[in-house]
Amino acid sequence: MAPDGTALLSAQGISVRFGGLHALDEVDLDVGAGRITGLIGPNGAGKTTLFNVLSGLLSAVAGTVHLGDKNITGWSPHHRGRAGIARTFQRLELFTGMSVEDNLVAAWESAHPWAILGRGRQERRRRVAQVMELLGLGGIAGRKAGELPTGSGRMVELGRALCTDPHVLMLDEPSSGLDIGETRHFADILRQIVSNGDGGQRLGVLLVEHDMALVMEVCEVITVLDFGRRIACGTPAEIRGDAAVRAAYLGETDVA
Amino acid sequence: MSLYWSLIAIGLFTGSIYGLGALGLVLTYKTTGVFNFAYGAVAMFCAYVYWQLHDKSHITAWISLPLLVLVVAPVIGLLFEALFRPLAGLSAEIPIVVTLALLAFFVQAATSIWGGQAQYFQSIIPTSTFRLGSFHVGYDQLGTLIILIISGIGLWWLLRHSRFGTATRAVVDNGDLASMIGVSAPSVRRSAWVVSSIFAALVGVLLSHSQTLTPNNLVLVALAATTPAVLARLTSFPWAFGGALGIGVLFSLLTKVSTTGWVANLISSGPWLLLLLFLIVLGSQLKEAGISVRPMGGGTSAAVASGSEATPRSRAQRAALAGVAAFVLAVLLPTFLNGSDVGNLTDGAIWALIAVTLVVLTGWAGQISLCQFTFVGVGSFAIGHLAGAHGGNFVAATLAGMGIAGALGLVVGAIAVRLKGLYLALATLAVALIFDFAIFETVGISGGITGIFDHRPHIAGVSFVSTTSLYELCVCVLGVVLAVAFLISRGPVGRRLLILRDSPLAASTLGVNLTVTKLVTFALCSVVASLGGALYGVYLQSITPLNFQFQWSLALLLYVVFAGRTRLSAAVLTGALAMVQPFAHNPTVFAYLQLGVAVGVVGLGRVPEGTIALSIQEAKRTLSVMRPRPRRSLDFEVMARRPLEVHSGA
Repeated sequence: MAPDGTALLSAQGISVRFGGLHALDEVDLDVGAGRITGLIGPNGAGKTTLFNVLSGLLSAVAGTVHLGDKNITGWSPHHRGRAGIARTFQRLELFTGMSVEDNLVAAWESAHPWAILGRGRQERRRRVAQVMELLGLGGIAGRKAGELPTGSGRMVELGRALCTDPHVLMLDEPSSGLDIGETRHFADILRQIVSNGDGGQRLGVLLVEHDMALVMEVCEVITVLDFGRRIACGTPAEIRGDAAVRAAYLGETDVA
Repeated sequence: MSLYWSLIAIGLFTGSIYGLGALGLVLTYKTTGVFNFAYGAVAMFCAYVYWQLHDKSHITAWISLPLLVLVVAPVIGLLFEALFRPLAGLSAEIPIVVTLALLAFFVQAATSIWGGQAQYFQSIIPTSTFRLGSFHVGYDQLGTLIILIISGIGLWWLLRHSRFGTATRAVVDNGDLASMIGVSAPSVRRSAWVVSSIFAALVGVLLSHSQTLTPNNLVLVALAATTPAVLARLTSFPWAFGGALGIGVLFSLLTKVSTTGWVANLISSGPWLLLLLFLIVLGSQLKEAGISVRPMGGGTSAAVASGSEATPRSRAQRAALAGVAAFVLAVLLPTFLNGSDVGNLTDGAIWALIAVTLVVLTGWAGQISLCQFTFVGVGSFAIGHLAGAHGGNFVAATLAGMGIAGALGLVVGAIAVRLKGLYLALATLAVALIFDFAIFETVGISGGITGIFDHRPHIAGVSFVSTTSLYELCVCVLGVVLAVAFLISRGPVGRRLLILRDSPLAASTLGVNLTVTKLVTFALCSVVASLGGALYGVYLQSITPLNFQFQWSLALLLYVVFAGRTRLSAAVLTGALAMVQPFAHNPTVFAYLQLGVAVGVVGLGRVPEGTIALSIQEAKRTLSVMRPRPRRSLDFEVMARRPLEVHSGA
């Protein structure tokens, strides 16, 4: 479990079917506060489907989702967003017609709809500036998000999620499109966010990622899916040594 | 009993024509991803060409019909293909607006060439009848049904059992992949446009002997083919074929219920009611084919200008100053103009006011609407009924109209929650046409052909009877609405609308309630459009349903998109465009203006942000050319420093 023993986001027995296909079959997952939880699996394993169930974009035919002690199973995406679940997308979903700064401002305002005057405005400025500094977005604050390269776009998406002051941050393949240097920088930022370095609250991160080196480096706990089923859950070392994972996902070769 | 059989025969005849139209619509949509709103207009234009050849130039049908079907229609099809080829992969809204512009183009072209008066021509198939049991069937009815059956089976065979069909299916599935295995996607699309255009020509010619040939009339009838096409989810030929026949028979039988009064009006709007019903019921199952659903580029006035050196605050200050200066100028203008010109300015101010709603709705929130003039009509008719003989209850009547329009806006907003892009455009078109046929045609509401009278208002003891005072009222209302919209564009609400447009998916996960946002946006825009309607009514004074027909909503959308839909200045330019015709005192000017705007909108693929953005770009380019170049000595200084920098870096 988490260092403080708390599961911020907990999914129990999640099942999803697309026609006759079992996309997810009674999957359990816990995301703890103050740590990064990895979710890996081969293509088609059901990772993004689980992500969509957790963020409310997809309904499960069975199972429950809890945020802290609240049962949020039937909640809409925007209710979950307001409750503190933020996410990024495998395919960039930026507000392309707006500047980078406005992307972040809009995210903060969405999460704090009634705090737009007086102190609210000051708080907004402070938080947006803080996130931009953390992610190094200051130099491109005025540029249109639609004109950015993928790497910067990923950072804007992450910044936008952080500006909602989430309890749980869900990142869907955040390193795709990043080069080695950018990925390393991204890993540093992730660790900083989780260790409360961004000045916000202690949050939990759920990371879906194909870059095994990144997953093994930053995650404390990893859940492995295959054909919609959870086949393993444990520390990176345990996952490396798990026979089922090696057979289903990693083959016989060891990870880096 | 024989009456029912006769009605069924008539229904099969009408349904056959709808069926031909629906097959053409489905074919182009499947292969190109473009829903051709101009389909009815092409049918109308081809009917006029046939009428010109056959009835006016007395060329025998054996020559004029093949000339139409094998030359004119294919050429139109090829032109469409050439026009839409560069738009592939762009936003879903661009083909929608471009086809709407083409609709306006063909209507105005036909009006310019052949005039707007009704024409009649002989059927290409004999209209005499033969007995089938106890009832009479027209040869034209049977012939049309046979043409549909042959066309349907022919199309089915072509797509199922020919090399062209295999290539078409490959292109529909994945055009890029098809190209890599040697299938020419452009050829397939070109063929689809040609076949669809031939079907449109047949629809036009077959319809024209049963309908009076006027540009608008035929477009509307041919547009009814949209209903079976949507029933077929724009993909299934058999459903389009069968659905069209079913719809034709259903509405033929319903004419037995009543041929007069509001029931008849309701029946005449039947295809549009059914279209709306299909769209609502099918809802999320309807997918847009082969095109991106991302909106056109751009943003609010602030966001659009974000590449410039000026800060957002200075840009806002400049825009606010320009707005205040324009307002002062607008208030002073009547001093230099005569009464009739002031009236024209009033017309322009009201159009600008209505256009603001479309800038907010379409430009900022990314929600397309083809029914803004329906809300205008609600506001105008409310004044006629509630403001009283001396306009003393103008404010109360305006508020009542705004309330009704707001409720209607909520209904349209609720539809927008389920639909987007093309299907939202179709739904709002259906709403506009339902109001045109079923509500505004009701004598008790609109006064019918003669219309009703909207008296000039008296507000808090102040009379706005004179042209100048009414103009001042309109300019003040426009100024307030523009100022509020400007403030909104720079704040949280403006940003919320933009994120709704750019990525509803991301917005929802950030905590934005999309349903509430859409409902409120549609309701508020409807309320303001209704306010514009109240002023429009008292400006025109005598209003009829013709003042609020869907064509005006279409013209409004084209003007706004042409002007640059993301900017509030586009609303002002729309007002200016609306004033061109009355100032020119020449009806044909309107036709040419519409043609010009339509041609301009067709160029959207290159400049999606509209003419204002294009003008700014060009002005900046010109200024940058005129700006003095840096002194040559500075270049030398830089060059001289470079080796040192490299050296020190090393």
